[in-house]
Amino acid sequence: MSTVYQGEHLLPGQLGQFFIVLAFGSALFSTISYYFASTDNEKFTGNWGWMGRIGYFINTISVIGVGASLFYIVFNSYFEYYYAWEHSSRALPSYYIISSFWDGQEGSFWLWAFWQAVLGNILIWKAKSWEKPVMTVLSLAQTILTSFLLGIEIFGARIGSSPFILLRDAMGSAPIFSRPDYMSFIKDGNGLNPLLQNYWMVIHPPILFLGFASMVVPFAYAIAGLWRRRYDEWVQPAISYGLFAVMVLGTGVVMGSMWAYESLNFGGFWAWDPVENAAFIPWLTLVGAVHVLIVYKNTKHSYFTATFLTLISFVLVLYASFLTRSGVLDNTSVHSFTDLGMFWHLVVDVAVFFVIAVVLVVVRWKELPISKKEEETYSREFWMFVGAVFLGLSCLQLIVVTSIPVWNHMFKTNIAPPTNLVTLYNVFQAGFAVVVMLLAGVTQFLKYKKTDTTRFAITAIIYLVFSVIIAAGLVYVTGVYKLRFVFMLVMLGAVYTLLSNAKVLGDVFKGKTKLAGSAVAHIGFGLIMIGALIAAGTSKVISTNDTIDFGADFDKVSSSKENIMLYKNEPVKMGDYTVTYIGDSISSPNHYFKVDYKRYDASGKITEEFVLKPNSQNNPKMGLVSSPDTKHYLFHDLYSHISMAPQEAFNFGDESAGHGEGNDDANYNPPTEHDINVGDTIPFREGSIILISLNKEPHVQNIPLGPNDVAIGAILKIVSHGQVYSSEPVFMVKNGNVFDFARKVDDAGLKIRLTKITPNKDGTPKVQLMVYEQPENKKPYIVMRAIEFPYINFLWSGTVIMVIGFLISIFRRNKELKTV
Amino acid sequence: MCSQTALKPLMKKSSIIGIVVIAIAIAVIVATYGSASRYGSFADARSTSSEMHVIGHLDKSKELYYDAHKDPNYFSFFMKDKNGNELKVVYDKPEPEDFERSDQIVLVGRMENNEFHASTINMKCPSKYKNDKLDIPQANANKSSSI
Repeated sequence: MSTVYQGEHLLPGQLGQFFIVLAFGSALFSTISYYFASTDNEKFTGNWGWMGRIGYFINTISVIGVGASLFYIVFNSYFEYYYAWEHSSRALPSYYIISSFWDGQEGSFWLWAFWQAVLGNILIWKAKSWEKPVMTVLSLAQTILTSFLLGIEIFGARIGSSPFILLRDAMGSAPIFSRPDYMSFIKDGNGLNPLLQNYWMVIHPPILFLGFASMVVPFAYAIAGLWRRRYDEWVQPAISYGLFAVMVLGTGVVMGSMWAYESLNFGGFWAWDPVENAAFIPWLTLVGAVHVLIVYKNTKHSYFTATFLTLISFVLVLYASFLTRSGVLDNTSVHSFTDLGMFWHLVVDVAVFFVIAVVLVVVRWKELPISKKEEETYSREFWMFVGAVFLGLSCLQLIVVTSIPVWNHMFKTNIAPPTNLVTLYNVFQAGFAVVVMLLAGVTQFLKYKKTDTTRFAITAIIYLVFSVIIAAGLVYVTGVYKLRFVFMLVMLGAVYTLLSNAKVLGDVFKGKTKLAGSAVAHIGFGLIMIGALIAAGTSKVISTNDTIDFGADFDKVSSSKENIMLYKNEPVKMGDYTVTYIGDSISSPNHYFKVDYKRYDASGKITEEFVLKPNSQNNPKMGLVSSPDTKHYLFHDLYSHISMAPQEAFNFGDESAGHGEGNDDANYNPPTEHDINVGDTIPFREGSIILISLNKEPHVQNIPLGPNDVAIGAILKIVSHGQVYSSEPVFMVKNGNVFDFARKVDDAGLKIRLTKITPNKDGTPKVQLMVYEQPENKKPYIVMRAIEFPYINFLWSGTVIMVIGFLISIFRRNKELKTV
Repeated sequence: MCSQTALKPLMKKSSIIGIVVIAIAIAVIVATYGSASRYGSFADARSTSSEMHVIGHLDKSKELYYDAHKDPNYFSFFMKDKNGNELKVVYDKPEPEDFERSDQIVLVGRMENNEFHASTINMKCPSKYKNDKLDIPQANANKSSSI
């Protein structure tokens, strides 16, 4: 049975699917060709080599073709495609179309494949004699990566998931799809997850995936070195590419935490969520790898550790993608993952590269240049090696705990993560960080091979003493002393790293420029740790009437009443601030709640005033999604987010007067009657109403007045909580009938009617006003949480400095690199 | 010469490091599993004073109580655990966003006075970002599980 469907655009999808198959095929072709090219001979003459290149070029073009087709489909809102329907909508601003690429797994696989294609071309251009073996590995990685996009059934099993699957194929069981004109019912797509509609989400995923993709390059060099028995030569280029990968992945991870801080509600920048850990784990091992690779280059020590860490880093990238994409984490992560039925496909991906690495190391074991001699105790290489080992251990702890669902899956157990998970991570990782940072400091005073012990001991100890003094001061001033002891040691370690690397930086200016990159990167790292420690450890929830510090373990549980109720236009004292919920502004689909912050000095004068606009998006398809707003100071941040707002708040836009008048009175207390003269004042709960004058010619929309009709407006001035409003209820006699037009002042919670006008004895008019006050619980309100994060800018600026340090190092290493 | 009589180190440095690494690795694993919680039922939670994980689903027929006017930091609801036992759950934060849409809830908390006090609520809503229903009256489509 075939139905001819109307209104579909099948060409871009068919083109895209063609490119996917071509990308997969050409990558496989390239892998095979490069494999034979590598085993053939070392010179680049054989046809195999050219075929490998051509395969990779075709792959690159195909991958770009896939991206272009997908972009075209999303851009034109062709909702007959499941991907466009699922991840986009007509209302989506065009600059977020690119973000819809990483709303789904297929799009993020594409992004990864794209970067890997780019890196492959750079290697074809630059790698010279390394091209063939290195590109064999890269093509293999590209083959497997593109296989995730195939979406083709082979022997009854579906391989991969294509972004070009049609809606009617994805949801084939629905009766609507038996109609040829079903497209006329599909008006709009599901839309992009509101949390991804953030500028960080345009830039963060591409950087993160460039980081993931570039991890394959040092791995490929290590494999190539083992395979082609060039045990020594692979180290140099691996250092350069490793530095690049570490720099980019590190930037991507920090950008992710910045996004979390700017647009998520958990109140922080790092939550040890499995998704964060998954990106952080391979970063740690590759940082360790780069350090021991440098050790090997300088001293020929630590060969196995260097190889091991380089190889395991990429395997861990694949393991991370297994963790986040297979659905295995279902109960433990706040992120929502959809299992696309690729569990075993992802397992195979990890297994292939793991097995290749293990087999090569075992086969070549006897030939590896592992030094028999031990490092000197007072040598830089020894302590760099120890530092790398501790990075590995910190990584081990992250893996063991993050993988609890995997162990459950493997051993059929049913253990849950520890209930004090964050504390467990913080304490362990802090302990490892202390060791690593002390070593990052102390190794600056050591030389490769052999150091003069006395001189070393003196400088190292002098710097340590100064660090203890400075760290103690910082711990006291910032309140870190209220935390566990290990966090105070983190401060000490960070200060020690800072001081000793500052000394190296001083030497750089005296001419020893070689170490500039390392010194700057380490200084950046020290600042990151200080910023993270103080900001996370001493952050204060200020949205309470009595400010509470977070507990000694950063656990927010110990202080529970963290949310404050703000009625509209009623100022509330909160910490140093007086805050008022002053109103709303709607910029569809976002609803911004304007919260005014004021600070007074002792004499009651306003010293500071600003408005924060935390927002909520009441997304009909995805529910209520809130994002915070943060006031940034140089030395601290003030973060506020809406935890709750009444549903009515979202219907503000259409308050049409006269509609449902009777029901509307239910929103107010019973009215109070006031007979007053012009100039009189009526008090009400939250202020006063003054009758300024009467208007003989009020304007009432759409009601023309005849010659015998009368209309009078009462011009009122309303003062409430220091704000002045005006209003003009109208009394009217038309064709002998009496009407009155109530007026609302929502910001003061009032509705006022002008119900009667009678002359006084002296002829002046007496006016009867009915005043409706909103009861407290009918007033608009928000429930808000506000947190102060001290010194968080150290974290962000430290990241920038660290990246600069990496860049300097990459330039230096590239200069040393003489590729043949 | 003195230097020749100098004691040979008892152990090679690499062995010392090896031992330290193994010790720390064991400590990590012991600490993880020592502090690991388990997924249990309300009955299990009654029998212990420490925090634990309870999986269940929201009873939508009973009241979800949250009154910001009375206390913006008090939310209560009823949850059925996997054994079908129902209990009142108290949470000292506002109602989580989209709570009523959840189809599975993982609570972390402990029993207090016959109420379960949750410190964390994790909701599993496969439909939170992935709305599987077509927005068309007659189509009650559910995405087939193979997608």
